[in-house]
Amino acid sequence: MVGEAVSRIDGLLKVTGTAAYATDYAIKNTAHAVIFKSAIAAGKILDIDTGAAEKAAGVLAVITHKNAPKLNEKGGIRGGALLQSPNIEFHGQHIGVVVAETFEQARYAARLVKVNYQKTDAKVDFEKHEKEAVMSKEKDKADAVRGDVEAAFQNAEFKVDEIYDTPIEHHQPMEPHATIAVWEGEKLTLYNGSQIVNGAQTAAAATLNLKPENVRIITPHIGGGFGSKGGQWANLILTAVAAKAVNRPVKLALTRQQMFNSVGLRQRNRQHLRLAATKDGKLTALAHETTTHTATTGEYIEPCGDCSKVMYDVPNSLISYRVVPMNIILPTYTRGPGKSTGSFALESAMDELAYQLKIDPIEFRLKNEPAKDPSSGKPWSSRKTVECLKEGAKAFGWEKRKLEPRSNRQGNYLIGYGVACGTYPARQRNTSAIVKLTRNGSDINASIELAASDLGTGTHTILAQTAADALGLPMNKIGVKIGDSALPPAAGSVGSVGAASFANAVNDACEKITDELIAKSGKQFFVRPTAAQLMISENTSEFQTRVDAKPPTDADKFSAHSFNANFAEVRVNDATGMVRVNRFLAATGAGKILNPKTAHSQIIGGGIWGIGMALTEESTLDPRRGNFVTRSFADYHVPSNLDIGAMETIFINEDDKIPNKLGVKGIGEVGIVGVAAAIANAVFNATGKRIRELPITPDKLL
Amino acid sequence: MRPFKYTRASDAMNAVSTVSATTSAKFLAGGTNLLDLMKEDVERPTELVDVTKLNFAQIKAANGGVSIGATAKNTDTANHPLIRQNYPLLTQAILASASGQIRNMATNGGNLNQRTRCSYFYDVAMPCNKRTPGTGCGALDGVNRNHAIFGWSEKCVATYPGDMAVALAALEATVKVQTKDGTERTIAFADYHRLPGDAPEKDNNLNHGELITSIELPKNNFADKSYYLKVRERASYAFALVSVAAALETKGNVIENVRLALGGVAHKPWRALEAEKFLKGKAATEVNFKLAAEMEMKTAKPLEYNKFKVELGRRAIARALMQAMNGGKA
Repeated sequence: MVGEAVSRIDGLLKVTGTAAYATDYAIKNTAHAVIFKSAIAAGKILDIDTGAAEKAAGVLAVITHKNAPKLNEKGGIRGGALLQSPNIEFHGQHIGVVVAETFEQARYAARLVKVNYQKTDAKVDFEKHEKEAVMSKEKDKADAVRGDVEAAFQNAEFKVDEIYDTPIEHHQPMEPHATIAVWEGEKLTLYNGSQIVNGAQTAAAATLNLKPENVRIITPHIGGGFGSKGGQWANLILTAVAAKAVNRPVKLALTRQQMFNSVGLRQRNRQHLRLAATKDGKLTALAHETTTHTATTGEYIEPCGDCSKVMYDVPNSLISYRVVPMNIILPTYTRGPGKSTGSFALESAMDELAYQLKIDPIEFRLKNEPAKDPSSGKPWSSRKTVECLKEGAKAFGWEKRKLEPRSNRQGNYLIGYGVACGTYPARQRNTSAIVKLTRNGSDINASIELAASDLGTGTHTILAQTAADALGLPMNKIGVKIGDSALPPAAGSVGSVGAASFANAVNDACEKITDELIAKSGKQFFVRPTAAQLMISENTSEFQTRVDAKPPTDADKFSAHSFNANFAEVRVNDATGMVRVNRFLAATGAGKILNPKTAHSQIIGGGIWGIGMALTEESTLDPRRGNFVTRSFADYHVPSNLDIGAMETIFINEDDKIPNKLGVKGIGEVGIVGVAAAIANAVFNATGKRIRELPITPDKLL
Repeated sequence: MRPFKYTRASDAMNAVSTVSATTSAKFLAGGTNLLDLMKEDVERPTELVDVTKLNFAQIKAANGGVSIGATAKNTDTANHPLIRQNYPLLTQAILASASGQIRNMATNGGNLNQRTRCSYFYDVAMPCNKRTPGTGCGALDGVNRNHAIFGWSEKCVATYPGDMAVALAALEATVKVQTKDGTERTIAFADYHRLPGDAPEKDNNLNHGELITSIELPKNNFADKSYYLKVRERASYAFALVSVAAALETKGNVIENVRLALGGVAHKPWRALEAEKFLKGKAATEVNFKLAAEMEMKTAKPLEYNKFKVELGRRAIARALMQAMNGGKA
């Protein structure tokens, strides 16, 4: 089954509306909570009057910093806002929760709360404060220097030296962050979308001063997360606090508007990119210097320089980060963290330099293909950039592209082609799994159990496929139980580690159970039997085993990544500057593709967000007040159906067992990497205008 | 949500007197805007009178033109053969607005009365003279990318957000209204919406309790040469940065009659009268269209974040007129 384009086994549940998401559990006597938020960006609450709210119909409790229980703020919850002090660190910080019999009553009462603030000067204008940015204390964000970049630049005949800006973006998964909290004595159950099930459990337990075994996370289905449900945020804890306060189960769902300042964001990045090359198109220097913002109370920097470390063979290189704390919610992991934004700068600059050199941008990249990882000197476990570029170009019809911009016009539209590459690390993380076999006559059923998560990407399905092959059973005989912290601990659906970690653990467990059944039989087999055959031949009615799977010990000796090449054809209205993507193609080398159907969906999902990143998505802050003026899907423009043209994917055959036994590299992140640059490069090819500030809205092309 | 009383009106006069009697009462039609605003705590009616069951949903030939009922749905209006044949400009404008789902719910009367999408108006934590008179205009010195370049005041820089009304302005429709004394009055479209002036809380010239019953489209000869051009930040479900409703009537290559209205640039659909005056009697050429656009946009007063709208407006006017000459094809 592995490698076949199987439809999702949870598809029927989803299209019939019966897959249970966090707030879909009908729990008796559930009360409803609504969060209310700060109307200033910096300062403190002098006084908060909850009298009217408390008296409103149906209200059970109003919780603010004045009566909230003492929590452990260093327990692993991201972004603060736990009602532990009157201090305000950003606009829209949670300042209280109303609990009532109904959602409407809670929301109404929340509006009756009167707050008296003492405002202080808020740092919300990046343009004004970027010069205050300093070096990070994180080791991996220290300046990474190879060779002598400055000397190489001085001597270079061809160079690019530009600033590339990417705006704040929001994850905004279809399922907003939502929780039901149920206490039974000291035991707490949290129904809550969690990309890392055990991470949510330990962070909730530590913050609430509970033992981890007393907290259970239930999250079999997640309506997207894109990083915002990787770490957990204050809303999870405040649901538990509210449930404790009213001694009833409590449901708390953030509204779409509240999502903009509750669960992190992709930070704004100002990237200074310099590239130098010889006239033959050999790169001689690369400097990628990123300036960004973080929260006043914590640091997160997305690694914009990561692609620049590994993409090209360049002898002199500098990667650096500078960061300024501001009164904006803590930034966080966002699809293709650092790589999607960083590749916009790097791959735009590559296109600019190729144009200067009058070399085809594919040819330019091929000239600079590194034989080993230039940042670490390690050999590649495998690298398919060349194949991605060549096979992608062939499938896309790249030969029709003209080097000179503005040379392809159809009526009122200018047509352009663009290409850009991307990469993302391939890793396996520790994951345990149980496999249980039961036999009823000759009917064998298997249950696969682990605390993995399914963001909607197809985890259930690929695990059933893996187990079916490894046990010798049809897929419909495999039950997959995931999304529950009571199951064996697993890695998360984050950083493209999910498929590799979960599938290898399941495969190991299935191999182990087969080994154990063979041992139990006491027989020698000429041909290795399947676990299913052994259950019957040995007349076993129930059998189970557990593994604690770890990545291969030698994996660290290699540099293991997925690679891609993205191709875009755009048309630009020559009067209005409106850009449409006619077609898009991603060629991806990502090791073993467990399921081409769900993989295709993953890659086009990344591609569509990349199109949004390139053309439409931007969260705008009022630079004086610190509020987001983009505060709904009417203002925050994710692409609509009409914005998306033909989407094509190609997977390059790749057999690489170095990163893990199954050869799975992961595709969740890489799909968005390089997409925005491919589109910006296509816009240049169409119009002759190089846009270095995303998104490419019509006004920028006038 | 704040508690409110809900009733469904069975006759128009009854609806009008109920709403007239209470200053915080409102009519409810498709609810696509009002209910959103109530959830956001911007609108706080104490009473809603549902008018969707009133007999105002017809679209019919009348007085040589067409009468479109106030409670007819946007989708049905856009696709009605009388509209498609005689007023393709209106069809294009409606279909350029909102999303399919919203157009299926939204009514024509409600569409005229939708409120600005200025985010300072929507966000109750922000100052806004339109929402709460006297609190100041958050957008004047805030992020005013989507705001007005014509006709704004220090009190308010919001724009009227709709598309349908831009076409109606160009078509010189009239709005038929039932008044509280039981009579009917007619408002010329140019007089329907207001500029903000000192009273931005008033979007239009309806008196409280007055109910729109229909929109009347006069006969014209624009059907062969009209075009609605909407420039926006995504292909669907986005408000206009600038939109242009252009309609031409030509004899040979000479412009006999022309109408131009702009959306996304003012507190009301903005008739480009300067440009119209210039074009009348001139040859229908791109050069003249560009000169007309230039002339119209010269009087624009952009704000800090929307200076691009002036150039965009010039280009959009000229392009829309060209498209109209090409028979209204994209």
